[in-house]
Amino acid sequence: MKTEMPLSRPLRLFVSQTETLLDTEISLLRNPEADPNGMLVDVYTYDVDKNLIIFPATYLGLLKDFIIARHCVHLLIKGAAAKKSRYLVCSFTGDSVYRGIHQIYIDALKDEAKKEKKLPVHKLIRMLNILYTSFNDDINELPWNPITNARVYHRMPQIRKSQLYYLMKEGKADMDEMMEYEEVIPRRYFVLNKSMFYARDQYLAKTLPADQLMPVINIPQMKKFNHLEVKEMLTTRWTHTSWYQSKIFGDNMLEIMEKYLQKIDWNAEPDLDYFHDIYRLGVQMTNHFISYMSMKDWFVWESPGHLREAQARKGEYENKALKKIFGDLFEESPADSSGGKL
Amino acid sequence: MTTNEVIGLLRKGRAYASRTRYKEAVSYYEKALALDPGNPETWYLRAAVFMETGRNMDALSDCEHAIAINQNYADAWSKKGHALYNLGRYDDALFAITRALALNGNDAAAWYIKGVCLEELGRDDEAQEAYGKSLELEIILDMEAEKKKMGK
Repeated sequence: MKTEMPLSRPLRLFVSQTETLLDTEISLLRNPEADPNGMLVDVYTYDVDKNLIIFPATYLGLLKDFIIARHCVHLLIKGAAAKKSRYLVCSFTGDSVYRGIHQIYIDALKDEAKKEKKLPVHKLIRMLNILYTSFNDDINELPWNPITNARVYHRMPQIRKSQLYYLMKEGKADMDEMMEYEEVIPRRYFVLNKSMFYARDQYLAKTLPADQLMPVINIPQMKKFNHLEVKEMLTTRWTHTSWYQSKIFGDNMLEIMEKYLQKIDWNAEPDLDYFHDIYRLGVQMTNHFISYMSMKDWFVWESPGHLREAQARKGEYENKALKKIFGDLFEESPADSSGGKL
Repeated sequence: MTTNEVIGLLRKGRAYASRTRYKEAVSYYEKALALDPGNPETWYLRAAVFMETGRNMDALSDCEHAIAINQNYADAWSKKGHALYNLGRYDDALFAITRALALNGNDAAAWYIKGVCLEELGRDDEAQEAYGKSLELEIILDMEAEKKKMGK
């Protein structure tokens, strides 16, 4: 382990156990510009020769310990997959981008037909690209989140308070994603996005256990769905709101999550087979989510290198897909200068 | 007395240090030291850069210079504790960190270092207390930073 900063004993053991199991070295780096979630730059995903865990410079104590521990678990899962079989991620091709964007377009048309104020075409096109990319990012990250958190919770009781604080904050931040576009994007995708986070938070609320993490307690827009009264259920139209629908879909996604994660013994002594089994369950759970969200042909399981290459060619794939959908009505733009905004 | 020129040099040094350009940062701090070796802040800032680059002995020496000029310089005591911890001198580190916390009890990083020192000395219960205090302060700082971000 390479670091100049003091680390609590449990974390030191956790990091060195990770290094031993994977026969690799981990460097820890504090960076003022790091994302609040930190970042794992690992040999199984990137063309690098050592693993690096980067965390925000403002996290100096147990919050930093939690971020490092979570990335260590993710590194173990990736490493076990790479060593025992192959480490694959959800990537995309020109064809899969077309299928995804086309589906979003069809759904957007249905929603737009009901709206008085229509979305301008250039914004609609930008929305198709943003939504597709957002679901690709989420499907690659979200299923591993409850797994890494559950493992950290069971193996590092010393940092449970920092974990709880961090997860409450993360839950709120994730639920804020796409909020400003609630009225713009097709309802179905807004709901699916919120449902994934709802399921994760609900799972973690049960696992930790911590009621504060339940979306109906932690998320302002969902608070009204905690203890609904019969009269209220009969007299209001809350069932039509996107947040209530997110709760319903989220409960279904929670069932999917539990179906796979209940097979894991979180307290088992770790070896590569154990983490490889977790990887396989994570992949199965991801496939189940994809299928539940009717996105089966949107993504392909490929190497991380394939995903990097696909991301580099994303603009080209999107332009081809849009040309196919809109024909000559679509004019190619060399680069999207929106910065991911509509 | 710290001149405007020294203040300017320290500002530049800090800017480089925040971008992890430590070599440039040290060169500005050295210019400041040449102008005014009696400013404890300059010694402390150079110590901070030395720590980042693994030069713990040099960092310790700079902290001692800073403390010799100002005995009540909490940050310098804290950095000294950190350097001593990295050098494996846990008893001395604990003494320095305890002094830092007596001067400023709101230093989350210092409480954390106190925790790791206590753990090394086998005083686990006291270590947990120190970690608890560190987390409490870290959460307050994080919430304040979030509020500022929202304000922006």
